[in-house]
Parts: sequence; C-alpha cells; structure tokens
Amino acid sequence: MSVAGLSPNFKMAFDANSQVFSLAGIIRPRSVDEIADSIAMLKQAIDDVRGVLYVDVKRLIQMNNTAFHAFVRVALDACRARADLRVVIVTSSVVGWTTRMFAHLNQIEPQITVEVYDSTFYPGQSFVEDTSFIPVLRAQTKMTWRHERSILPRHGMRPGIAMADICCGIGDFAVLAQKEFQPARIVALDHSKPSLAYARKVAADFGVTGIEYTYGDASEMLLEDNQFDFVTCRHSLQIFNQPELLLKELYRIVKPGGRVYITNEKNSHCLGEPRAQSIQWTYNELARLLSHFEMDVELGPKSRRYLADAGFDDILVESFMVTNLDGAPQDFADVIAGWEKMFAAMAARHGEAPEFIDRFRQGFRDHIFAALHPKGYAGWPIWAASGRKPL
Amino acid sequence: MDVGSSVPAEAVFEPLLQFEMEMGTFLSEWQHCDHLSTYLARMISHNRADPVRHSNFFSSALNELLEVSFRGGSSSGHIGLAIYRNGPTERVQITFPCPPGQIPFYREAVSKIDRSDAHSRYLDAISTDMAPSRESILLDLAINFDASIRIEENTSPAVTLIVDLPLEGLVS
Repeated sequence: MSVAGLSPNFKMAFDANSQVFSLAGIIRPRSVDEIADSIAMLKQAIDDVRGVLYVDVKRLIQMNNTAFHAFVRVALDACRARADLRVVIVTSSVVGWTTRMFAHLNQIEPQITVEVYDSTFYPGQSFVEDTSFIPVLRAQTKMTWRHERSILPRHGMRPGIAMADICCGIGDFAVLAQKEFQPARIVALDHSKPSLAYARKVAADFGVTGIEYTYGDASEMLLEDNQFDFVTCRHSLQIFNQPELLLKELYRIVKPGGRVYITNEKNSHCLGEPRAQSIQWTYNELARLLSHFEMDVELGPKSRRYLADAGFDDILVESFMVTNLDGAPQDFADVIAGWEKMFAAMAARHGEAPEFIDRFRQGFRDHIFAALHPKGYAGWPIWAASGRKPL
Repeated sequence: MDVGSSVPAEAVFEPLLQFEMEMGTFLSEWQHCDHLSTYLARMISHNRADPVRHSNFFSSALNELLEVSFRGGSSSGHIGLAIYRNGPTERVQITFPCPPGQIPFYREAVSKIDRSDAHSRYLDAISTDMAPSRESILLDLAINFDASIRIEENTSPAVTLIVDLPLEGLVS
C-alpha cells in the first residue's frame, strides 16, 4: 500500500507467510503522525509473527531521521517486551546509508540483527564474475556487436535517447552503443564491482565520458520509474534464477512507449561441422548442467513469452548466428576455449565424473576445431527480442 | 530561487553550485526539502564515479540539513546553500535565519559531535527519542556519513552550518 501525503514511491507491505515486513521507496515525513498507518502496520506485523520478523529495506531509497526513529522505536519496544522475538533487518549493499544506519541497532538490542543482501544473489554468480573471464566477455561482445549494431535500430535504439544497460558487465556494449548511436544519456548498471572497475578503466583509457556506471542489483534497482527510452539487458535473464523479477524492474524503469531489449541464447543449438555429433552432445549437456545452477541457457526462444508475461506489447523477436566466418575464426575459437574452462569448472563443482568432464571438454575442443578448420563452420545462436511498455 | 556558481570558497574547495530561496517560500511546503535534496544531489553527482549511488547518499545527508533548516528557521530572510568539492569530499554550506535565542543550541549541538561519547549519545538518542533532535541529526551525519561539521557565526540572526561529506570514498 502507499501512504497518502507521502511520496507516491513509498510502499510498504507485510507478507504473513514469510513474516517479511518491507519498506520501499522514499519516506521523508514531517512528523510521525504522517506515517501513523505505517507504524500501526508494523506493530500489527510484530503482533502476528512468531520467532523472526524480517524487515526488508533493500529497496528503501530514502528514509529521513523522523521515520527512522519512529520505526526503530517500535522494533526496540517490541524486542524489550518479547524475549521470543528476533528482528532481522535486510539491507542492500547498493544503498550504503541503510546498512550504516541500521547496523547500530544490534549494539542497542541484540535481538535485532542486520543482514546485507549482497554478493551471492544468484546461483553461479561467482563463475560469471570471475575476472579471468573478461577477455572472453570482450571477444563475445565484439562478435555479437557485428550483428547487433544493425539489429538495435529495429528495436528502438536511436540517437538522443536516454538508455540504460542493465547487467552491463564489463561495460563494453555501453561504450559501443554510445559511439555508434550517441544516446543523450547512458546508465550502465551491474552487481559486480570488479566488472565495473574494469568498465570505468576501459572508458577512461579510450577517452569515453558520459556513461554513468553504477553498482546495483538488477532485481532491486535504485533507478526511478519511467526514466529511459530504451533499456537493454543482454545475456542476463538466462543466468538469473528469477528472470521475471528482472523483467519487472526493466519494465518499471522504461518510459511508457519505450522499449526493453533482451538477448539470450539457446545453447543446445550451438553447432559445428565437422564433428557435429560431439559438439551437439556437449551443448546439450551444458544446458542440463547449467540448469543445476538455476540458469536457463535455453531461454532465447522463450523471450516472447517472458516479455508478454511481463506486460510488454508490440513484441519483436529475431535470432542471429554468430559464426567463425563473421571475423577472425580465432576470435570464435578463443571464446569457446574460455567456455570450456569455465563450464568444465562448473561441471567439476557439480560433481560430474572425470570421464564425463573429459567428454564434455572434447565437445568444446571439437567446436574450436570446426571454427578453425579451413572448410569448417561453427555457430552460436542468439535471440534478440524487445517489447514496448504500453502508453 | 537562484542557482549560480559565484560564491567565494576556500582555495582548495571548488564551487559547484549556489542556491538561494526566500525563507517564507521554503517554509511553505515540507516537500521542498525532499525535492531540493534530490534535485541538487543529482546535479552535483553526475560526474562522480557512481552517480546514482553518490546522488542517493548525498541526497540523504542534504535532506537532513534542509529539514533542520525547515524546523528551526524563521520566515524572514533567505535560506542560502552552497556546495563545493575537494577531491572525494563535498562541502555543504547552509545558512538560514533563525531566532537569536536558538543559535546557542546549534552551537552546543555542533560542539558535542567531536566528543568521545558521541557514538554512545547517538545510540542513546536512537533508543529513547520518539523524534530526532537537531543534535541527533548532526550526530547521524557525523557517524553514518563521516561528516565533519562546524558552525559559523553571523552578524544577523542566522546560522551557518558547514558540513564536509567524504561520500565518494564511502560509495566506492
């Protein structure tokens, strides 16, 4: 619910099933009276819970001291009155001041603890944020850009727009987009500080200014509603265990009439000749393996459904094949070599037998063989899709 | 309302922005604190390493200073705000008219920030106060935003708070 007289962006809710009381948005009241309903709701929530009450402030963008004191007072009084109650406040590493302010409460009342919702926020994240993977990511962007630079205008990219690249990774796509299309504004967000540090360095090295790199959680962004004409989110829905949450946020930040553009793969459709069978086997197994890490690398053709379910209209879907013939075959081979290393490590982490891993690796090596063969052909298919937020 | 950049500052602090508003107008609407802090934070954060998060952090601190001015200010005269930068630190200089009898209270609140018991007094304020006092707000800025705060004397019945906020380091 929203509270009259306060920012329309302020929302609070209590989920009795999970015992989570959440505060989100901006709450800067002049007096406690203005938030009396919210205080009453928190008191009621405390009365209803048994054991642990989770107070979720991950998306609390602003809270003044008036509100802070009022909410904290209720929590402290409740803990003093009920020895059985524990309060866990869940903050976000993105909103720095919340962690600092709420962390004091544990010193006042040991029944209150503060948890920072942070690094392991989706399964498999540590693999894709491994900095040794950066050269592979750069090569991937270089290869996909050859296709996307002509695809993007069909999906709404044009000069002068405000755009956001969510899950920007090492930021190279944002740099290419800025150079090619000259948007008026680019915000590039990612949840990996090493990737953002790399992105800022690359931008500085190439004299690129004007890209606003920001650390953030794509499923709980600080960015305000209806800000951007065009929002991109590339190769990310497929590695996030709750893609619908990401899409909800992408929908929120794009302007009515603006478009959200996503790219995703269907890894089992990676192909090559010669040695097609070995290649096919490995990529089928790859899709199966990654499902254990809650990644759906078969998501590409499902893009239309995801966009429709998120509320978008005028949905456009197309696919393209990155191949060894696009540029230097060695670039393609280098990417596959990077995949072999990363995915073999994930297979080992999952407990696959050494014989499996050997055969699994062989499929990648055969893909490289096909890419570098003078008469060979190797492909990596990608689905590009976009939807319009209704006016 | 006037936005410019011509206020003299200490040599090491680069002026970023100056803002002035009739106090009566400022006091006419509580939401001015929120709107001004959000807008000004965005303006001065655009060239920070992480503009979105710097703006969020800075807005939080600036809003508290504006709310102090709103609650303690008198309606005649002007509220003046200047923001400067020196490396990772923004300096906020805020001047607002207030009843002469109130000035010693601001002076006392500022003087307590650097005392060794500041942290325990802040915790005490959180655990016992129903509403934040101006002292606990200044303590909040000092403890949660690593702010250094001083007060400047005026000939007119006004208070000038000078608050240095090293937020770039905190955000990064």
